[in-house]
Amino acid sequence: MARYEFKLPDIGEGLAEAEVARWLVKVGDRVVEDQPVLEMMTDKAAVEIPAPGAGVVVEQRVGEGDVVKIGAVLYVLDSDAAIGGMTVAAAPPTETPEPRPGPPPQAGEGTAVLAPPAVRKLARDLGVDLARVKGSGPGGRISAEDVQRSAAAPAPAAAPALAGDRAPLRGVRRRMAETMAASAKSIAHVTGFHELDAGEFVALFRRLRDEHTARGRRFPFDALLVRATALAVHRHPIFNSSLDDERMELVMHAEANIGVATATPEGLIVPVVANAGGRDLAAIAEEVDRIATAAREGHAAVADLRGGTLTISNTGAWRGAHGTSLIPPGQVALVAFGRVEDRAVVRGGQVVARPMMPMSVTFDHRVIDGEQGLSFALTLRELIESPEQLL
Amino acid sequence: MVAGDQSDPVDVLIIGGGPGGYVAALRAAQLGRSVTLVEMKRVGGLCLNEGCIPSKQLARFAAVYASVRAFASEGMPPLSGPPDMAAFQRARVAAVDTLVGGVESLLKSAKVTVVAGEARFVGRTRVCVQTGEDSVRFFDFKDVVIATGSEPIPWAAAPFDGERVVEASRALEWDSVPGSLLVVGGDYIAVELTVAWARLGSRVTLAFRDDRLLPGFDADLSAAALRGAQQVGAEVLLGAPVSASDHERVAVSVGRRPRIDGLDLAAAGIREVKVDAQMRIDRHVFAIGDVTGGPPLAHRAMMQGRVVGDVLGGKNSAFDARAMPQVVFGEPELATVGSSEGVVGRFPLAALGRAVIEAKATSGFAKLVFDGEGGPLVGAHLAGPRATDLIAELALAVEMGATAEDLALTVHAHPTFAEAAFEAAEVALGRPIHVRPRR
Repeated sequence: MARYEFKLPDIGEGLAEAEVARWLVKVGDRVVEDQPVLEMMTDKAAVEIPAPGAGVVVEQRVGEGDVVKIGAVLYVLDSDAAIGGMTVAAAPPTETPEPRPGPPPQAGEGTAVLAPPAVRKLARDLGVDLARVKGSGPGGRISAEDVQRSAAAPAPAAAPALAGDRAPLRGVRRRMAETMAASAKSIAHVTGFHELDAGEFVALFRRLRDEHTARGRRFPFDALLVRATALAVHRHPIFNSSLDDERMELVMHAEANIGVATATPEGLIVPVVANAGGRDLAAIAEEVDRIATAAREGHAAVADLRGGTLTISNTGAWRGAHGTSLIPPGQVALVAFGRVEDRAVVRGGQVVARPMMPMSVTFDHRVIDGEQGLSFALTLRELIESPEQLL
Repeated sequence: MVAGDQSDPVDVLIIGGGPGGYVAALRAAQLGRSVTLVEMKRVGGLCLNEGCIPSKQLARFAAVYASVRAFASEGMPPLSGPPDMAAFQRARVAAVDTLVGGVESLLKSAKVTVVAGEARFVGRTRVCVQTGEDSVRFFDFKDVVIATGSEPIPWAAAPFDGERVVEASRALEWDSVPGSLLVVGGDYIAVELTVAWARLGSRVTLAFRDDRLLPGFDADLSAAALRGAQQVGAEVLLGAPVSASDHERVAVSVGRRPRIDGLDLAAAGIREVKVDAQMRIDRHVFAIGDVTGGPPLAHRAMMQGRVVGDVLGGKNSAFDARAMPQVVFGEPELATVGSSEGVVGRFPLAALGRAVIEAKATSGFAKLVFDGEGGPLVGAHLAGPRATDLIAELALAVEMGATAEDLALTVHAHPTFAEAAFEAAEVALGRPIHVRPRR
């Protein structure tokens, strides 16, 4: 038997934290490998966290409703064997808290890993988790060579599936599979494609960006898109609703919470500008900058990823043009904006080059009919082609 | 007037110039950050100005005075009069001034801007510094380090009056030896004050509500502290109520608490001072030293200051010390690091030549604790002369995961107190030369 402290793994959404939704086992319960132990809540939905091996859950370190950071210990497993080739402490850590009364040591105070200070520094620099390194020295002491060997070896958990292998789909990836299948199965997706003249829109963006820069602030392009969408939703409230398909009731939302699909090194996440309809452009810009920066830097707060009522996606950075989308369950539409590029268009009988922006409006035809979809797109077109209304 | 109309933008702002704050300032400056340090008194903080440093000066002064008398039987001539405490206090002030001057010149050459005043938060990225009775300055920072230290908790039975009932720092500044002194508390500060003033001739009563001194220390060290206090002539009252009324002076050391009153952390959106391994409360907000809770130790704050300086300089640093030594400059000197649970090797100083000829300190010991037979050193507890220096070798051994064999096979110079370390390791291995092996 060996004590194994199970830490919240990186669940791969660029999130620094997640909320404990519920425990699926009790202290004293025996679990087998891959058995779901608890459910964590992220922006996408609940993610089941499977056991790393067989054993008995002897301690739960977090409670339901707690928001915990990646790397925090969730529970202690008295495991039947060393887990996944990782080193497991053979006994509870031998280092006792500092021998002094007073508040208990806070996170980061002391370390139970037996590795000299210079080796710990090396591990930090190489990004090696010492808890996963098997020490070759007396008493399991970890040497610099042990750390270098570990750094050179492929990470056991993150290793990509090799050709010919079958690998279980876990965590966010699995949740994505389930959510998207549910979306495709239940929502009646219809997408309309539109080409917008973005000449004035881009000029306005540049002017606002320069003004903000002069004041030491940033002005994200997406802020204007959020503003336009929020105004359009105000005129077409049906786009800010949910369908309760069990009761066949339409739920109209009071506030427009616009999600902004954001690429991060770990994948796509959707931070939300809460009550975008109730904010002016400057406030939206500040909020878009804050949540997008947090998301990209990997410390988005769970609260910033919740409660979206309509999602926009700006694919311009990838030279995206038109595309259909799957609407997140609970919402009824998704607007995707593509890259603004000069195109040959006819103005006053002449072929001229204009900066054109592709826009794809995907809506749930169970809730929204074709006329409503086109009408919403037309409003967006007016707002974007005559963008002074956005100020 | 709108608060913050005139605000100075700064890069790194450090609140508190004690051992944590000034070290963080120097390291961050070393790594290219522009640092502003706010200090309400003098740099060096409580430790340098009115804590660690002057208390060690008093302890040394008292120990020399006592040892001259202890060696009378070996021919040491008698002292001609009582200690001149006024002269001592002048020497104390001069020594502190020298060291504060040293820190000031280090900060100056590192181009750290020192602002005198008391800081409070007025926003997420802004502090207001009260620089005088009617003057304030505002600073907008990119990163802030809270290093405000701790303050003494008053004794419920008799609050501080600055004269008769005082905190430990004031009890270092008396220019005469009190006829009778009550020391309230049982931590290392209380023990040090008791021993120093008793050695200088005061009739000292040490009263502690717990049933042993130095709670949290290895029990053998608590016992040694009790014996030592009694040996120097102090009366020790444990677990008994005590009254302040029968004593000329009362020195109180019943604990310290983080100094956060007046900082208005809420204005910065900080709900509690809780840090991660990088000493971070929030993305741009850090805290180090006593204000983070945990044992109030200058060396802990200094290490955290180095970590925070590194992190501010973009280094991947973390506070992850396995070994956090603690030292007591009493009678005898005591030092401890790590655990008391494991395979123990205990070596008495009575079997050490150096201890017999010097200081008659034969009641001391070195107690080493290993994680199982053949396992690494996980704790060390020393009582005796130089214990406060000798603990460094053993803290290093804990950090390195040294085993009893490592210590036993390292040659220690003879005749030194340091030999006790390898002798204790040999005891743990069951093969000591200078004491009888365990059966």
